[in-house]
Amino acid sequence: MFRFNPQTLKKLRRFRHIKRGYYSFLFLSVLLVILAFGELLVNSRALVVSYEGELYFPTYTNFHPGTDFGFDYSYEVNYRDLKRHFEEQDQGNWVIMPLVPYNPYENNASNGVFRPSPPSFESQHYLGTDTTSRDILARLFYGTRIALIFALAFTVWVYLIGISVGCAMGYFGGVFDLFFQRVIEIWSNIPFLYMVIIVFSVIPSSLSIPSRIGILLFIMVLFSWTGMTYNMRTETYKEKSRDYIAAARILGASDTRIVFRHILPNVLATLVTFMPFIVVSAISAITALDFLGFGLPPPTPSLGELLKQGTANLRTAPWIVSAAFTTLVVLLTVVTFIGEAVRESFDPKKFTVYR
Amino acid sequence: MNKASFERNWLRLLAIFAATLVLAACGGGTDGDAQGEAAEVYDNTEEVKAYYAANPEFFYFKTLADLPANLNWENGADLPEMGSPEAKKGGTEYRALQDFPRTLRTLGPDANGSFRPFLLDNVEMRIGWRHQDEFDFIPGLATEWAMGEDGRTVYVRLDPAARWSDGEPVTTDDFLFMFWFYRSPYVTAPWYNNFYSTMFTNITRYDDLTFSITSTAAKPDADSRVLELTPKPQHFYREVGEDFVDRYQWRVAPTTGAYTVRESDIKKGRSIALTRVKDWWARDKKHFRYRYNADRIQFSVIRDTEKMFEAFRRGDLDQNSLNLSEYWYDKLPDDAPEVQAGYIHKSVFHNQRPRPNMGLWINTSRPLLDDLNVRLGIHHATNFQLVIDSLFRGDYSRLQTAHEGFGEFSASGVKAREYDIDKALAYFAAAGFTERGSDGILVNAEGQRLAFTLSSGYQSMRDVLTILKEEAAKAGLEFRVEVLDSTAGWKKVQEKQHDIQLAGFSVFLEMYPRFWEHYHSDNAYDKAFLEDGSVNPARKLKTQTNNLETFAMPEVDALIERYRASPDKAEMIEIANELTRILHEHASYVPGFYQGFYRIGHWRWIQYPEFFNHKHSRSAGQLFVHWVDEDIKQETRDAMQSGKTFEPQIRVYDQWRD
Repeated sequence: MFRFNPQTLKKLRRFRHIKRGYYSFLFLSVLLVILAFGELLVNSRALVVSYEGELYFPTYTNFHPGTDFGFDYSYEVNYRDLKRHFEEQDQGNWVIMPLVPYNPYENNASNGVFRPSPPSFESQHYLGTDTTSRDILARLFYGTRIALIFALAFTVWVYLIGISVGCAMGYFGGVFDLFFQRVIEIWSNIPFLYMVIIVFSVIPSSLSIPSRIGILLFIMVLFSWTGMTYNMRTETYKEKSRDYIAAARILGASDTRIVFRHILPNVLATLVTFMPFIVVSAISAITALDFLGFGLPPPTPSLGELLKQGTANLRTAPWIVSAAFTTLVVLLTVVTFIGEAVRESFDPKKFTVYR
Repeated sequence: MNKASFERNWLRLLAIFAATLVLAACGGGTDGDAQGEAAEVYDNTEEVKAYYAANPEFFYFKTLADLPANLNWENGADLPEMGSPEAKKGGTEYRALQDFPRTLRTLGPDANGSFRPFLLDNVEMRIGWRHQDEFDFIPGLATEWAMGEDGRTVYVRLDPAARWSDGEPVTTDDFLFMFWFYRSPYVTAPWYNNFYSTMFTNITRYDDLTFSITSTAAKPDADSRVLELTPKPQHFYREVGEDFVDRYQWRVAPTTGAYTVRESDIKKGRSIALTRVKDWWARDKKHFRYRYNADRIQFSVIRDTEKMFEAFRRGDLDQNSLNLSEYWYDKLPDDAPEVQAGYIHKSVFHNQRPRPNMGLWINTSRPLLDDLNVRLGIHHATNFQLVIDSLFRGDYSRLQTAHEGFGEFSASGVKAREYDIDKALAYFAAAGFTERGSDGILVNAEGQRLAFTLSSGYQSMRDVLTILKEEAAKAGLEFRVEVLDSTAGWKKVQEKQHDIQLAGFSVFLEMYPRFWEHYHSDNAYDKAFLEDGSVNPARKLKTQTNNLETFAMPEVDALIERYRASPDKAEMIEIANELTRILHEHASYVPGFYQGFYRIGHWRWIQYPEFFNHKHSRSAGQLFVHWVDEDIKQETRDAMQSGKTFEPQIRVYDQWRD
């Protein structure tokens, strides 16, 4: 669509030189890749099963009932049991389990009682279990994945709407600008958290969990897009009055061409600097909503829900809150570091306190 | 250029339209004007009198000479005392509330909150009370009472000593007024309006202290209908009118009970206190003299249950419920230092009373759920036993039916169906669900998934639902879990929008269970059946009723109507058990669990009787049989300073265990 201009490339080069931000960026990228293939690392389904000479790779396939591997039940086979079973039988069958052999939903109590149990390498609950004996590492892992995907989707939507409306306001100006300014003023005065709570509480639950998460995203975007528009509007106003835009117009360039070829690439700097902070606010918002019990529908793994459990069991199960808290702090710090670095590398003044 | 000006005009139009909208939205704010401080004095005495006169078929005025002569007066005086003679009077007890009461009215909007028991239900005197061991009645406001020959009229003689806390005597007129009050549209309490209009046919005044009240039906427990009434002080409610809700919002009504709230103790949003009525008129009565012992009960508002528990552990609160197993076993374990040092005592009391019917209510008007095989499959795919064993650590018990704890009325012999994957699969197969989909959930020939929403209005049941979901998946059944807040959850079932709801209705200490509310077709559909008994094809779901299963069966209707009309206890027992068997066959309710006990932790200065509490008590504090020993409190505080310890006390009172 549009090529980066040499200035932008220079900014990107500068970004690479800000070590803290750059490494945070690498860390987050690697994390995203790991999370994307999380089923291979944290899962109750085996990676490979070798049964009577045949190899099975159940991670991404249909479920295998117990009867497929010589058990007598028709529901999904418990691969941890299967592994033990094969080892006892010692007939050449084997199972390779992922590093963390639990999924985030199953209650796995060692003694039949659902209660938090402390971290243990022996039971492979590396961060312990929560109040209903679910593996905390698995819940953190998938909770983080959902939070990150959610935050990125949120950012994309907020940007799309914010840029379109803001840019239109700045570019067209006049009554259109005035009207939307008033709309945004009213809209942004509606308390965001309350609205999410109210609206989400009347959403019917007959919908599947992914679509309910989608609706939550929609509502959050609905009440958050306004923030972007004002920056975008000012930037567009500024660029619009520059000579090169006037020149382009005289040459007969269409509105579309002016917006996409000239204005957008030039305001990119401002847009990019906001991005990490929007991601941060999205993660915080979704965590806060979950903490209050109005966020992702149960039993979806989530950071907020773990924090809530953790604070309720501060004395008896400190490992719950410490795990969730550490994850949240690391995540938010990394994104903030990236944000700082982006902001600095896009700063026209080269020598600032951020070196 | 033309195009641009057209756009401008269009935008202007849009702007005007938006401006109108905004103005219209602002316009609505003026009608909510406050009525001003209700300074105007209002007197409804004449209005009340006119109401009595207008309803001569309900309010009778007679003389003592008209009182039937051959009445068999009872007074319950032989029933054993309640509480312990060792109880010490005095002291201050510290408790906590999660929410400050939203009103001090005991009737009308917001009145049914968690503080009302301390104003009305557990404190205010009734004509008579059920003895909490014997189930028979002990005298409260009455000295004696008698059942009329018709089996539905109860004659009452009030105690001449009975006083309101402001010194006024309690008289027959307060009972006449009670009917006006509860039936009045001013109180905005439709349930009470209806109850007091339909459950009684008349009240007859013989003199200041003698009256009779007749209930609609002659039932084996007709006496309880009348004896459990509480009068309303006419002299206090003289100003009841259109603005009752606002005018009485924060006024404390005089009480006949032991505790009242003093104006100066109401610190809105922060704390409130009960104070023992000075020279309470019933302080020496046989069944009350060892109860209501503390001089003051101080309630602070602590919104978070965890904080409440920490406050208890610090000694700021005197007692704390330990009903949840995580509190009993993990947060205050037997080897906790305060317990081992004997500072905090732990007590479990097994009680006997009707059990809340916590279980899964299956809405049979929903597609698939109208199929008996699907419902039977759901029964066998629901693993409540695992919930009890793993989450409640085996302390809770499985409900067998929806009507447990009513003695002979609960003796149908019906047992809840067990979790059994094979049986569940067989039933689901009979309903056409034979194949498992790619995720293990059953599908039928049309590709329909065997999936239902499992909702609940209790946040605390979140873990229960999660466990049920995981276990049901093994039998190829998907539960989509939905945890709502209590209002939304209640609304959902009242509008019959649920598939399957985990819920329980609280039940009162009554002689026999109620069936009409939950199982009569009147509460399921508008005109469920035609004259000839066949299903009305045009019938519509009836909302706002407690028939959560949309249960409608003509033969059950007939049984329920007989049950409701029967004055004969033996016949009622037979019908109740017959109904329970039919309901079990219909399989639209999966019995859940109940807690056959309550357990608390209390600091050692809070003393309980040797037997701890009475058989039918619902909670440790309900009957106020405990007392505060300020000497022991001082001793304990000193001991905690000096490190002195006492014998640990972890007691189980299982004399009434099922």
